[in-house]
Amino acid sequence: MDEQRDFARFLNAVDVDGAIAEASHQRRLALSRRGLLAAAAAGAGALLLGRSEARAASGLSANDVGILNYALVLEYLQASFYTEAERSGALSGKTAQAARVVGATERAHVKAFQKLLGSKAVKRPLFDFQGVTEAQQAFLKTAVAFEDLAVAAYKGQAPKLQSSAVLAAAVGIHSVEARHAAWMRQLFGVTPAVNAFDKPATKQNINRIVASTHFIVAHPKMKARSKPQYTG
Amino acid sequence: MAPSAALGTKSDGQRSRLALIVTGGVGLAAASPFLRPLLGLGAADAASKAEDLRILQLVLQLEYTQVALYEQALKEASLSGELRDFAQTALGHERQHLAAVKQALGSKAGPKPRFEFGSKTKSADAFRQTAIKLEHVAVAGYNGQATNLTKPTLAVAGEIVSVEARHAAWVRAIAGEVAAPDPVDKPMTGSEVAAALHEIGLRAS
Repeated sequence: MDEQRDFARFLNAVDVDGAIAEASHQRRLALSRRGLLAAAAAGAGALLLGRSEARAASGLSANDVGILNYALVLEYLQASFYTEAERSGALSGKTAQAARVVGATERAHVKAFQKLLGSKAVKRPLFDFQGVTEAQQAFLKTAVAFEDLAVAAYKGQAPKLQSSAVLAAAVGIHSVEARHAAWMRQLFGVTPAVNAFDKPATKQNINRIVASTHFIVAHPKMKARSKPQYTG
Repeated sequence: MAPSAALGTKSDGQRSRLALIVTGGVGLAAASPFLRPLLGLGAADAASKAEDLRILQLVLQLEYTQVALYEQALKEASLSGELRDFAQTALGHERQHLAAVKQALGSKAGPKPRFEFGSKTKSADAFRQTAIKLEHVAVAGYNGQATNLTKPTLAVAGEIVSVEARHAAWVRAIAGEVAAPDPVDKPMTGSEVAAALHEIGLRAS
């Protein structure tokens, strides 16, 4: 399957040591339980798909599993980024408020995909955001990049999905990522909607961009070495 | 390749790509179902070029409504600051969407509708609230048709819907509202979209 090969390449590209960390529990941050998260996380599977379809990945084609896992990695990246930024205490005002809402949504997306994929879900990589979660402007700039990237990634994959139920869910997430992109852009002070037509991006381009950030690392120890300020 | 992409501008290329996908570059012998009412559109039909065209008639109404609202508000609502920037930017985008949809429909495009916006374009506050509603309908309307479209048309619709979502979030942020209130945007059916457009001010031509 092309998608599976692409996905393997994505993981290889972003995970320089070739080891997607198994110890996701080490990295799992205690999530905020404030209002919106609780609402968002409740019934995350049902949120994405009808109950009968939320059961497991068993009914999904290999093609769709590959695409969903690719999306899951991007959602892990975003969710961890917002969670870490929220916990760093560096954000204030409208930006802090937006980060809480968007973070809760990205965590809900992660949960929903995990539930949908069941045992086929890839594990959460380890991240090192290299300080960008510790200053408001750096946070916003990165958030804009992540959200624009997510919009382009979902847009590139949606027409390739085979399951109508998964497609219906994916387009509903795609437009939410676009809202996030506009919101973060507005907070950063750049035009929220630049062009009349948003272009998709291929997996190869997304992989290259994600790899260039070095935000995904193989071992938690690397994190301590590069950024002692944040010890979350 | 779209033939008019050679004309050079991105929007021309975009427009003709949608036109080419939907019409297959040939005449539409099977396009008579156009007259079928928009209400209940797409419910049980498999995706097909004819179905794409029926859906595009609804999208045409949507884009006409957006262009008309922004044009009229920019004339009448004394917009200023970021809200004015938003209206001008969104109008530019909606005009390009409208042109793309019209070109895709060709001679099958429905006539330009009339609008009765009433007080909705007469003040900045009223306009802002109406724009929030309309952009929400646009996102939900496109999302609601995703599974009814052929894949090539879905790909182009995807390039439009995220721009509508950006508008939706932007105008909500201007209003001080949460820009992205739901984890997943809920779709609307064709009949829900038609009813919402009527409530905003769309009238038959």
